[in-house]
Formats: sequence, C-alpha cells, structure tokens
Amino acid sequence: MIDIARKTAQVGDALPELKFGPITRTTLALYAGVSKDHNPIHIDIDFAKKAGMDDVFAHGMLSMAQLGRTVTDWAGHENLRSLSTRFTALTPVGATVTCSGEVSERFEKDGEELLQIQLQAKIDDGTVTLTGEALVAAS
Amino acid sequence: MGHFNRANAGKSTDPITVDVERGALIFFAETIGETNPVHRSVEAARGAGHPDVVAPATYAAVLDMAATQDATRAGAIDALTLVGANMRYLLHGTEAYDYHAPIHAGDQVTVVTRIKGFTDAKGGKLEIAHLETKITHAERGDLVTVRRDLIHRLG
Repeated sequence: MIDIARKTAQVGDALPELKFGPITRTTLALYAGVSKDHNPIHIDIDFAKKAGMDDVFAHGMLSMAQLGRTVTDWAGHENLRSLSTRFTALTPVGATVTCSGEVSERFEKDGEELLQIQLQAKIDDGTVTLTGEALVAAS
Repeated sequence: MGHFNRANAGKSTDPITVDVERGALIFFAETIGETNPVHRSVEAARGAGHPDVVAPATYAAVLDMAATQDATRAGAIDALTLVGANMRYLLHGTEAYDYHAPIHAGDQVTVVTRIKGFTDAKGGKLEIAHLETKITHAERGDLVTVRRDLIHRLG
C-alpha cells in the first residue's frame, strides 16, 4: 500500500498528517536521554530562566524526528534519500506537533526517479515550528 | 562580539568510533513515537531482510552526540568545543541529512565533523556556525552526511 502511493504520487498530493504530543516535561527528559542532547535549556527550568527564557522548550530535533516519521511512514525508510529542516520557532512544553507534507516535484537524478516533498510542523496555535524538504525514491 | 571560535574554521574533529547500540536505538525509536517495527524489533527487522534494527531518519544526530560524549571522555576536542558553542546562547538553525546507506544496530561507525565556516545575520544579532559531519563505515563507506547550522543569539 505504501509503494502504490509513492509510485503513483503526483505533484500536489498530500502525505497523511502525523500528530505527536502533547509534549510533556517527561517527554523532554526522555528525549534528552535517548538523543544524548543534554543541553539543560530543554530540561532544567532554573537554567532556562537564567538564560532569559520563561520555561524550558522542546528539542527541535524531537520535531524533526516527527517530520522524518511523516515521510518514512509514507515512503518507507529505505526510499528516503535526504531530509532537511529549518527550525523557525520554539516548541513550548505542552504543545502538540502536527506534521504535514506535500509532493512538490517529480524528477530524475542520476538515473533514479525522485519525489521532492515539502514538509511543515505546526503547533496548536498555528505557529510553524519547522519547515523542511525530503527526497524519496519514486520507483 | 560573538562567542564561536572563528579561528577554527576549516578544522575537523579527530575521528571518533561509535558503536550503534541496539537497546539505545530501540529506546530512541520508542521515545519519538516510531511505530515501524523495523526500528523497534530485531525479529521484525530481520524478517524484513535487515541484519538488526534500523536507525530512524534522524538517528545520525544521536551518533553525532555520542561521538561528542566519547571525545570528551577521552580528553579529545569534540565538535561543540571546537566550534566554541555556548549553551546559554545556542540555537539549532538547520539540520540536513543525505542518506547513502542504512545504519543498523551492531554497526561500528566513524564520526568526523568539519567546521565549514561562520556567518552573521540580522545585523550581528545572530552568529551562525556551519558544520558538516560524515558518518562512515569501514567496509560500507559513507552512511550519512549531516549538514548543520548552529546559532548564537547575541541580541
């Protein structure tokens, strides 16, 4: 079923939406551990306040992981050729991240047919927290 | 005035060898909500033709952090130190992966980060470090190339 969608995908087709959250402090503690990103700005409110923030905020990479899942759930991880993102806004504690993707191009490169996908992550109030792109093999 | 160590533009970290641990990879996959069993179950991964559980799309960042920790433990200079990152001001600007071959639990990979250079933005309110990390395998060559911009908020 995954393969049918990918092989026949047209420009403008949307990938199934993916939701992650609400992101709790526990999620951030666990993600700090499993990602080995121990930057205290994500897990220690005292540190965050000293750095001028009101509270800790989620790791951008936790949301990028969701963009990755959005693409690989649809295309299969073995077909993912590249994934990139720009972090455009902070993700606060308590947010639910909604990821969406749309096929923007179908082209051939080095003998392989590829789909370019535009990706976006948004939080509850509509703020776009990440924008991104992925390339997946189309055949 | 910035905080990055701009004199280190063009320099690379020493190669660090990292073991891709099965339990750590599975725990990562569970924490990010990964549902595909090839990332969570050895049996499912092997059933799909993989030697072991498969690294999720952003796992290169974890191996990069593992290399940073191992370098610190060994008394070597890690990428964040080389670039002069200050956690009080640090933001993650961009992250990009080019995938050349899959990473599986049980792999032993080599991680090298090169500091490509530095730029400024927003009238000096932001300084940006551009990094490139190559994750390679002794026999299978390049696995993933990571490009990353780190930002210091100065304003």
